[in-house]
Amino acid sequence: MATPTRTHRTGPPDPRRTSRRSRLHRWDRTASPYLFVAPFFLVFAAFGLFPLLYTGWLSLHRVSLYNVDQADWVGLQNYWDLLFGPPSHFFWNALRNTITLGVLSTVPQLLAALGLAHLLNYHLPARGFFRTALLAPYATSVAAATLVFALIFSPEGGMANWLLGLVGAGPVRWEAGPWSSQFAVSVIVIWRWTGYNALIYLAAMQAIPRDLYEAAAIDGASRWRQFLHVTIPELRPTILFTVVVSSIGATQLFGEPYLFGGQSGHQGGADHQYETLGILMYDTGFHHSMLGRASAIAWTMFGLLLLVGLANTLIARRLRSAQ
Amino acid sequence: MSPHRRTRRTAALVSAAVTAALLVTGCSSAGTGSDDPNAKITLSVGDFGTFGYKEAGLFDEYTKAHPNITITENSTTQEGDYWTALQTRLSGGGLDDIQALELSRIALATSEQLSGAFTDLSKAQGVEKEAYLPWKWQQATTAQGKTIGLGTDVGPMAICYRQDLFQAAGLPSDPAAVSALWAGDWAKYVEVGRQYQAKAPKGSFFMDTASGLYNGVVSSNAEQYYRKGKMVYQDSAGVLKGWQLAAEAVKAGVTQGLKEFDTPWQTAFSNSTFATTVCPSWQQANIEKYSGPGNAGKWNIAQAPAAGNWGGSFLAVPASGKHVAQAQALVVWLTAPEQQAKVFQKVGNIPANQKAYALPGVTDFTNPYIGPKAPTGQIFSTAAKAITPAETGPHHGDLHGAFSNGVLLMEQNNKSADEAWAATLQQIASTVQ
Amino acid sequence: MSGKDDMTTIAAHDSPTIGPTARYRAARRRRPRSLGAGGQHRAGPLALTMLVLVTLASLFPLYWTVVAASTDSHRVISTPPPLLPGGNLFDNIGYVWNNAGARGMGVALLNSTLVAGTVAVSTVAFSVLAGFAFAKLRFRGRGALLSLVVATMAVPAQVSIVPLFILMKHLGLGNQLGALILPTLVTAFGVFFMRQYLSQALPTELLEAALVDGANSLRVVWHVVVPIARPAMAVLGMLAFVQSWNDFLWPIIAMNGATNPTVQVALAGLGTGWSTDWSVITAGALVGTLPLLLVFTVFGRQIVGGITQGALKG
Repeated sequence: MATPTRTHRTGPPDPRRTSRRSRLHRWDRTASPYLFVAPFFLVFAAFGLFPLLYTGWLSLHRVSLYNVDQADWVGLQNYWDLLFGPPSHFFWNALRNTITLGVLSTVPQLLAALGLAHLLNYHLPARGFFRTALLAPYATSVAAATLVFALIFSPEGGMANWLLGLVGAGPVRWEAGPWSSQFAVSVIVIWRWTGYNALIYLAAMQAIPRDLYEAAAIDGASRWRQFLHVTIPELRPTILFTVVVSSIGATQLFGEPYLFGGQSGHQGGADHQYETLGILMYDTGFHHSMLGRASAIAWTMFGLLLLVGLANTLIARRLRSAQ
Repeated sequence: MSPHRRTRRTAALVSAAVTAALLVTGCSSAGTGSDDPNAKITLSVGDFGTFGYKEAGLFDEYTKAHPNITITENSTTQEGDYWTALQTRLSGGGLDDIQALELSRIALATSEQLSGAFTDLSKAQGVEKEAYLPWKWQQATTAQGKTIGLGTDVGPMAICYRQDLFQAAGLPSDPAAVSALWAGDWAKYVEVGRQYQAKAPKGSFFMDTASGLYNGVVSSNAEQYYRKGKMVYQDSAGVLKGWQLAAEAVKAGVTQGLKEFDTPWQTAFSNSTFATTVCPSWQQANIEKYSGPGNAGKWNIAQAPAAGNWGGSFLAVPASGKHVAQAQALVVWLTAPEQQAKVFQKVGNIPANQKAYALPGVTDFTNPYIGPKAPTGQIFSTAAKAITPAETGPHHGDLHGAFSNGVLLMEQNNKSADEAWAATLQQIASTVQ
Repeated sequence: MSGKDDMTTIAAHDSPTIGPTARYRAARRRRPRSLGAGGQHRAGPLALTMLVLVTLASLFPLYWTVVAASTDSHRVISTPPPLLPGGNLFDNIGYVWNNAGARGMGVALLNSTLVAGTVAVSTVAFSVLAGFAFAKLRFRGRGALLSLVVATMAVPAQVSIVPLFILMKHLGLGNQLGALILPTLVTAFGVFFMRQYLSQALPTELLEAALVDGANSLRVVWHVVVPIARPAMAVLGMLAFVQSWNDFLWPIIAMNGATNPTVQVALAGLGTGWSTDWSVITAGALVGTLPLLLVFTVFGRQIVGGITQGALKG
């Protein structure tokens, strides 16, 4: 790369210019780091931090979607209502659903991804094809994937019921039942994210030094024992990372249940059978026009995420000290 | 709690100031309003279900007469979705030039909270107050006398039924005889359902959904969700009767248990899996659209057990629009007698403009898709004149939605009538303030 | 495909600043061609069969989308379901192209491309600047600010939806694409990602040479940093594009109704009853997915590399 500044140096130095230049230069040196990081912090301040605090402020008020400029102070009423008041039934239900959906979608997903990564780590023909194919679901948007799965789980002429029919079972009204609907929603999540996580595991597996395996092999460890005693411990930080990312994602689950429900998706099914906290927040704020209460739900979710983060950190610390 | 009021203007200013510096993308709206009547403009019309303007060629006709105007229609199938989006836009901006409003929302739209968002159409050029059904006009008028919407249609009810399926089940199929089966009492309608179900062709049900029945019963009752300005639903005569009959229908197994307006409901029309559906005039359009040409001539129409009005809509012009005058002119034109008559002939929506009834081809109209030339014009216009509107209020739409959902709980989620009732009240307590 | 494994090399760029353990691990990782457990083994028939089955499960819904989109309203929900494509694919695509949403799928695709494109470009530009500053420049508060960047990654976007809505209303951006672009002009992930890459890939000597020559900071960024950051910029740009393209909750609130939809908003409209015809709905899903699928087939390896790199660094 040519450095065009070099040409400047050939002329006789003009003392006045040099000092101005160097002052400017020094200013440039001291100020530019701040200028470079400023855009991020400005964007974050305006669209991250400010809204976060604003949500907290709104959650202490009664605000209608119809007139967002008028807020009536209600103290902790919104939180009280959520925990014990009229909407508490729906809040606890949504919290429960968020947890069950989170477990149903995250645990099988990560276990499958781990196994899949192990398979991908073999010497394979057409490995590029396998990787791209497994990542294709990730390229499919929530909306597109959910629409297609809604058709697959459709009560009329759906592929899932047809398959069940082949083995003499069903038909199941997938969307109506509490467990069947949560199962179906989890299938969408698992489908979209398993390949993605598998590739992350695969990359981490390939970074494991070969000599560890050689040592284990000399000790006479079988391939399965090598997987358990070398691969898994070495993957620990990566597994932790995927657990964190997946549980954050699961806490915010919205698009899949929302679109899966068709007309009643906005409330997570007629009986709220797969209503998550994200859906409850949307429904409360933008369907029932109670922005204050929606903000209280949002802050509760934030608190929940902090808890999840804290739990993950504690577990990570214990794992590290156990190492 | 004692609400301590405060305006939020300062915080808004702060937020604007913080972000103003970042507005480098310059994504604000392009194009400015113009008073030039010949300037090229686009009017967008937001509506739901089937308003029939496109089908009847009215947009084309209007743009031909006004070459500088282009019209786009944003149509949502289900009114519930439409309203959710509309209330977000009423608050956040981005409204269409013309917005449709359904009967169950009109009390909220004319309330103090929202009426400011709409322009007064009573002062629009060429509007003829006397032409509209007086109660319809009244519903869209605020306490201060501002009329925010012009009536498009009303929803006099009938029952649409499949004559082929009735024959197969050994029931009469002639409209007069069918009407006589349940004349005067919705309970008889459920009773006929039992008879049908006993001999029904395999895989077919008497009705599509019990929530349709529920809405039919409530709509034909003088008392619905409001009494003297107060919400009543736990002891409203209409709600109680509708709920009880819906529960009975579910228990008797005469309903297919579909979610009305949802995709499976739509496909069930073409699959001929149910024999009747409660049929407000606007439902005819859905029947033809979803049943498809393959089922032409199989539907017929009979009188409902009791007369009533279910739905019907208004067109409103938001005050925030860039072309308010032009939008108002289009609304006045679309709701004028000639245009309402054309919509009726095309998709069956009964005009809210009573002058349209006098036009040729309205009361004497026969629907080619329904019945062997069913005299739908006569059936519905007679029913329309008999409508005595029930009292409505701001939460009409919410309550209506909650109870329809409650019926669904019995149909799809295996809840007993008591459980579903409790869940519905819980939902209302939680969401209606 | 070359025999060289991309992901191994990318994974090898580890951060030297995380801690002694990490540094030790990083040093070990830098060994060439360190393959994992099965790396040297050929896949047995059982492993291969399982892998093929999972791959089929992964691809089948996409294939089924094409099949469903090529049938008609009746065939698509018939039993047994169609397993081979029919002849209506282009009719259905044409229909959603002209009719989905208010102004057709074409407008939605254009909107999504505009939003995701702007977001990708600005994320890359701002992330390079900030990442460079954090990686190589010394300034007071650097450590604290960097920790703040990492901490902000934990703030979920969903929590801020309500105030964002109010904010955009006051900015006059209701139903405007700007409402989608502004909040994601630059992300913490992008800054951190660039910082990790540059602290490894940008030789300090090169930088010093340029500074001794008296080049100002922007010049240095343009002539020294950007050429070196280019591969990471491509990866980050693609990741930002994909994320923006697939964003769902905020767009359905900010772009409420069908007047000015992104692809996801248009698809949401399809899913909540715009059409009765499943073959048309799936055609819409196909049209909305195809552009990204194409990008993935072409740039799949780089994206995979980027994802894993981000993961190993995070």
